[in-house]
Amino acid sequence: MIQLTINGKAVQAPEGSTILEAARSANIDIPTLCYDKAVEVYGACGLCVVEAEGIPKLLRSCSAKVSEGMVINTESERVVQSRKIAMELLMSAHDGDCVAPCQLNCPAGTDCQGYVGLIANGEYEAALKLIKNKIPLPASIGRVCPHPCEKACRRKNVDEPINIAQLKAFAADIDLKGSSYLPDVMVRTGKKVAVIGGGPAGLTAAYYLNIMGHSVTVYDMMDKMGGMLRYGIPQYRLPKEVLDKEIALIESAGVQFVNNVKLGRDFTIESLKTENDAVIVAVGAWQSSSMRTPGEDLQGVYGGIDFLRAVIQQNPPAIGEKVAVCGGGNTAMDACRTAVRLGAKEVYVIYRRTRNEMPADKLEIDEAEEEGVIYKFLTNPLSFNGENGKVKSITLQIMELGEPDASGRRRPVPVEGKTEEIAVDSVILAIGQKLVQGDVSELSLNGRGNIEADADFFTTSIDGVFAIGDATNRGASIAIEAIGEAGRCAKAVDAFLKGESFETRVPYISKRDESTIDYSDRKKESRITPKVLPADVRNKSFDEVSLGFTEEEAQKEAQRCLECGCREYYKCKLLHAAQRYDIHPERFAGEMPQKYTRDDNAFIERNPAKCILCGLCVRSCREVMDLHAIGLMGRGFKSEISPAFSLPLDKTNCNNCGLCVQLCPTGALTEKSTLQKQVPLNEEITEQKIEIDGKSASVLVARCNGKILRVIPNDALSRSMKLSRDELIALLK
Amino acid sequence: MRIVIGQGSCGIAAGAEKVRKALMNTNITSDISITGCIGMCYLEPIVDIYDDNGGLTRLVKVSETDADAIASYVNTGNKSFVEKLVVTPEDSEFLSKQTRIALRNCGVIDPENIDAYTDADGYTALKKALTEMTPEEVIEVIKVSGLAGRGGAGFPTWFKWNAARQSQGDEKYLICNADEGDPGAFMDRAVIESDPHNLIEGMLIGAYAIGAKHAVVYVRAEYPLAIKRLKNAIRQATEQGIIGENIFGTDFSCDFTIKAGAGAFVCGEETALIESLEGHRGMPRLKPPFPAQSGFWRKPSNINNVETFANVAWIINNGGEAFAAMGTEGSKGTKVFAVTGKVKRSGLVEIPMGKTLRDVIFDIGGGMKTDKPFKAVQMGGPSGGCIPSDLIDTVIDYKALGATGAIMGSGGMVVMDESTCMVGMAKFFLDFTAKESCGKCIHCRIGTKRMLEMLERITNGQGKEGDIELLEELCYSIKDGALCGLGQTAPNPVLTTIKYFRDEYEAHIHDKKCPAGECSALIEYKINADKCKGCTLCARNCPVGAIAGTVKNPHVIDTEKCIKCGKCYTVCKFGAVVKE
Repeated sequence: MIQLTINGKAVQAPEGSTILEAARSANIDIPTLCYDKAVEVYGACGLCVVEAEGIPKLLRSCSAKVSEGMVINTESERVVQSRKIAMELLMSAHDGDCVAPCQLNCPAGTDCQGYVGLIANGEYEAALKLIKNKIPLPASIGRVCPHPCEKACRRKNVDEPINIAQLKAFAADIDLKGSSYLPDVMVRTGKKVAVIGGGPAGLTAAYYLNIMGHSVTVYDMMDKMGGMLRYGIPQYRLPKEVLDKEIALIESAGVQFVNNVKLGRDFTIESLKTENDAVIVAVGAWQSSSMRTPGEDLQGVYGGIDFLRAVIQQNPPAIGEKVAVCGGGNTAMDACRTAVRLGAKEVYVIYRRTRNEMPADKLEIDEAEEEGVIYKFLTNPLSFNGENGKVKSITLQIMELGEPDASGRRRPVPVEGKTEEIAVDSVILAIGQKLVQGDVSELSLNGRGNIEADADFFTTSIDGVFAIGDATNRGASIAIEAIGEAGRCAKAVDAFLKGESFETRVPYISKRDESTIDYSDRKKESRITPKVLPADVRNKSFDEVSLGFTEEEAQKEAQRCLECGCREYYKCKLLHAAQRYDIHPERFAGEMPQKYTRDDNAFIERNPAKCILCGLCVRSCREVMDLHAIGLMGRGFKSEISPAFSLPLDKTNCNNCGLCVQLCPTGALTEKSTLQKQVPLNEEITEQKIEIDGKSASVLVARCNGKILRVIPNDALSRSMKLSRDELIALLK
Repeated sequence: MRIVIGQGSCGIAAGAEKVRKALMNTNITSDISITGCIGMCYLEPIVDIYDDNGGLTRLVKVSETDADAIASYVNTGNKSFVEKLVVTPEDSEFLSKQTRIALRNCGVIDPENIDAYTDADGYTALKKALTEMTPEEVIEVIKVSGLAGRGGAGFPTWFKWNAARQSQGDEKYLICNADEGDPGAFMDRAVIESDPHNLIEGMLIGAYAIGAKHAVVYVRAEYPLAIKRLKNAIRQATEQGIIGENIFGTDFSCDFTIKAGAGAFVCGEETALIESLEGHRGMPRLKPPFPAQSGFWRKPSNINNVETFANVAWIINNGGEAFAAMGTEGSKGTKVFAVTGKVKRSGLVEIPMGKTLRDVIFDIGGGMKTDKPFKAVQMGGPSGGCIPSDLIDTVIDYKALGATGAIMGSGGMVVMDESTCMVGMAKFFLDFTAKESCGKCIHCRIGTKRMLEMLERITNGQGKEGDIELLEELCYSIKDGALCGLGQTAPNPVLTTIKYFRDEYEAHIHDKKCPAGECSALIEYKINADKCKGCTLCARNCPVGAIAGTVKNPHVIDTEKCIKCGKCYTVCKFGAVVKE
């Protein structure tokens, strides 16, 4: 045995073994992308370099042999620098999306491509579970979310984006109708967490902390949990029965609810702190913002969320026949459409820009108009005029669009001397909402008047107290933002409770340059939107407007997904290596060596644009299988791996043994799963024995949610048989 | 009298074969024969006429129309017939100032005739080694001589021979690397074309020393004449029993084969060469194991460059001490350089180590071709670096050249004057290495490409703050991380140009100017109205019709239309076209 030192640790290794083998035997991890025991050492990737005392050159540990008394450092500054540059160079020439843009643009990081794909395959339960990894209230969020995912959806470059939000609601509705999914919760830790506020942020944090094994109690000032989802969203958009069911599931999973208790009145943050190991403040923004327009204090002028809440609480104010709603966001849409349903004859939306600049969802804008709402674009209230203390009319300043402002929208500027007066019975100000500051006087606020919370750890001015959602930092935003923060906050609190460190570095992922993507081979297929109640029916009723997807519609819509994210995401060794260090491949951005293509046969999909030329496929085909079905072609940057004689793989002597796919460290070679629509899934892989011609052979079986997705030959016998996947599956049974 | 025509590739390219045929058609009765590369490539075709006393009249830049004049001279002895063709005393110095060992027979003997070689003491060294010396003694002589690998790395030859000798194994291979790929280098080609038996003799001595029964020459397919002459020489030597079984009656036997390379630069790297020999794609293997332990067909193998072998017979005949008497402390013997570029006299120069760059470029090479001052010399081709004018007195020695950031290399010497843009020069060589990278390791395959992209940006006027530093970072990483010599040395032209000409990089990046006026994106062509005579030559030559003007009146370039091809600048006889 040879004695050597690796990273200060004494290691023994048999003579003739490599430094890499010695390190692995001592559980010291050295990254490598081109090494595999099955084939001869190659030395292409250069990631396995280490520094040995007294040797001026970096050593490739996959080939350098151990020698007596060797002193090795596997993570020296020089080694790390060399690996970082290698990874930066490699990723600068790796053309692929680890994760689909829809998922990246979701503030909660929901795996949209995953659940859309599963829905396309009819795997609704698996889809729901995937969604619930990030969103505990999917039926509700699917209905109300302004879906940033769809804004990023690349299908828009072909025709229209996938209807991701409605598909989410579809999967969640099926779950609510049947025996609803309850997550497995971890062993109780004995730690107690109090959450103040039972809105989307508070409920989400509670849900995940409960799963992590902590005992969580949510305190809320209202009758029921749900926060703005319940008291700020009208029934016709989110039926409260749906919300009730989803919240009940959170309670069933083990979260304690306490309602009708108010911060500052019934308890303080400090008092909760003494009884709990951590406190999360998620009180939301419950005060309508002022427009600072004369006459706002007149009778008949209401705050948007105050108005909506009163209606939901079956206590609608007398709004009369002529109602003006000020604002262009979704709350304004909720207010105007609610006003219509309350029987108002003329409902105006006063907005200082034009339809194109309205922040509200386009569907909402259109549906409101269908219901009879009158838009008064390019107008801004100068004053609310009253009579006997009650609002009577609005004087509007006529506006026009000027130069674009910082947000890129054209700035509205008054047209000098041009005004208009409209008669109204009531006014609803839906221009935003803010934190009720008095409630959180124990915490430090920022310049905007919101709770100051750390962007990564969500910590506040009080140790052990965290804050999330509309009440913090930049103020009110959409529900999915709050849910995203809550999910991350749950991890931060969990780490805090366990006294562990919490990684905030956003790990590197590969993203394609949008400008280089070619859609010319994609067939146009229109977006499917669920049917809605007719306008003249729904404007008189608070029944849900959307009728939801039928199963057929949902599957068809989900099939439209372009599958942007890489199927190998969960097992990509390249990504794993790329995330090891803080790398910046954009420093070396340049030409991509290969065109992004997908060359596939029945089992294998090949994408040379993702290939890193580790040569494992070529070498295993040559050295293990003695087949030579694929080889290296070209020189320099344009070197590529190609089937023999540039034929399609099926025309070579490839026998689909799958070894190359198995060894491929990234998504350049992928094996198709049994699913019709291919989806990136976190598979569980187990080894199993099958019988071939009376002999025992080994295969690897990849499953997800119990379903067999792939069977991979795993020894010489199973590889040599040229069996199709279906035949292998049959042999398993 | 005897007539000898220089028929290396250089001579043939210049028209030597036409000259030979024309001479054959005259009434000359004297013997007309050929020789290889005489070394003065810039004066080809060259015809040497030896009188009966051995006196030489060298005629240069001969054309077929000179045949009758030459015939008259040969037939009458009246030199006035060829006076205008006789080489000048200055040009003669190009050869007379050299010390030729490896090239001793080049341009002197007939390469296609084994008798010419044996008449020049050929194969006496092989006979001496086989019959009077043990392999260990041969290695000892080579050790004493201080001969080091002439392919570029400069590794002591005896050490490699000894390692291969010590290596256990019944089958061993002696391989000659004749895959001369550096742009601007042609020493090896000249040796094989001009003196193939010298190579065979050196290799057979090497094979005897290490105990190999098989000798292989890996020669690039782009050298058809070299392959033809080498094949011919192998045939002749085989016929005479110099190659084959029981050579010179001893129990040493050795066969000899040629493998034509398919044109990949990387196959000059010894392990890639072996892969290629075995029929695989030319990609380097990991070292260790070194070829001496596991080489061709995984057998102990020794690989040396052509020029290295070309010295061996001389060393055996003259003794290691005689070779070691030339040169410096660390670098012994002579070195052949292929001198090209903006130098007045270009060709092959063999000089003892220890001379200076000035000796080669100015004393032998005659200085600059034009009136522009000397700027730098690129040593060692794409793997080497540039040495600026203020280091012109650097001694030719492995260590001294290495200290400048350049390398001795295989002998390529590209001389540049002030009109050469150093960023563009680095880009040129990097473009070569990037394209010739085998694609195996990341640092080389992607790193050189990214460097090239940066240099392209810089020379296109799109360089940005931090580019030089990023280039340097990448350079050092590639040197450290690349798998083989190709990648490890590829950054050298960039690193040395940054080291010595950083201001040029900065001018491109910050001022968007190319000081040498070579980067077309950064220059504009204009016509100086005071100098323009209105001859219309530029307008007639402009491929895009960007020049307007009437006869005898100053012309004007439309910079919008101009594609900056530089044609007007080249054709103007009055220096009226200027680059800005």
